[in-house]
Amino acid sequence: MQNRPTGFGNPWLQLALSVACVLVSEFLLKRGATEVADTGSAWSWTGLNGLASPLVWWAILLIIASFVSWLYVLRYIPITIAFPLSRVVDILVPLGCWIFLGELISPLRWCGIALVVIGLALVAKPIAQIEERL
Amino acid sequence: MSFLAFFFIVVSLVSFVAAQLVLKRAMEATRTSGLRNAQFISKVTGGIILMTISFFLTLGLLQRFDLSYLYPFQGLSVIFITLLAAVALKEKLNMRLAIGALLISVGIVLVSLS
Repeated sequence: MQNRPTGFGNPWLQLALSVACVLVSEFLLKRGATEVADTGSAWSWTGLNGLASPLVWWAILLIIASFVSWLYVLRYIPITIAFPLSRVVDILVPLGCWIFLGELISPLRWCGIALVVIGLALVAKPIAQIEERL
Repeated sequence: MSFLAFFFIVVSLVSFVAAQLVLKRAMEATRTSGLRNAQFISKVTGGIILMTISFFLTLGLLQRFDLSYLYPFQGLSVIFITLLAAVALKEKLNMRLAIGALLISVGIVLVSLS
């Protein structure tokens, strides 16, 4: 991790940006897909009719942006740390659905969210030491 | 679940995990020799092809199964990538990282099951 850039080039900031792009793209895809849903047509199984929604195109742009910042993250951070941390999106999506869409979270799902948070804390804790060592 | 469905779930997971490891290798190559070298271009291309295979296999599976049924397999990618990065990329893996990855995997499985 030597010569690690700071400011906008900071890989931890890029990791956060990558996760934020994926998170927003998931909601845009859901909104976009619902907007143009045509479940009567066999073609709709391919998902290609989703391209009729501008929201889906915004989501695609965000997915590309998240891929580019993910590649940048991989350049500087070990994947054993970066990949588990990137899965924070798996709890941010249900939490976002709960907060913004009013969807319910079952007790079992809360347990899952708690386990992911503990796991993330375990992975993230040694980052300070790693930063010092490398 | 038929044998065929299981086969495609495994292939989709394996190609996703392999893609991440290949992309990591590709980006490591850029640290010594920049973006314009054959190593980087071939590996990034390979990684993108593997991700595309995984993406379309997942789309095909999503047409046949619920997302909540398929998502736990995605959750397993955390534990596979962590272990394989330690073996194939020689990344340092301690007990804390391994347990953290395991908890995240189990948590994702629980979130998608409920």
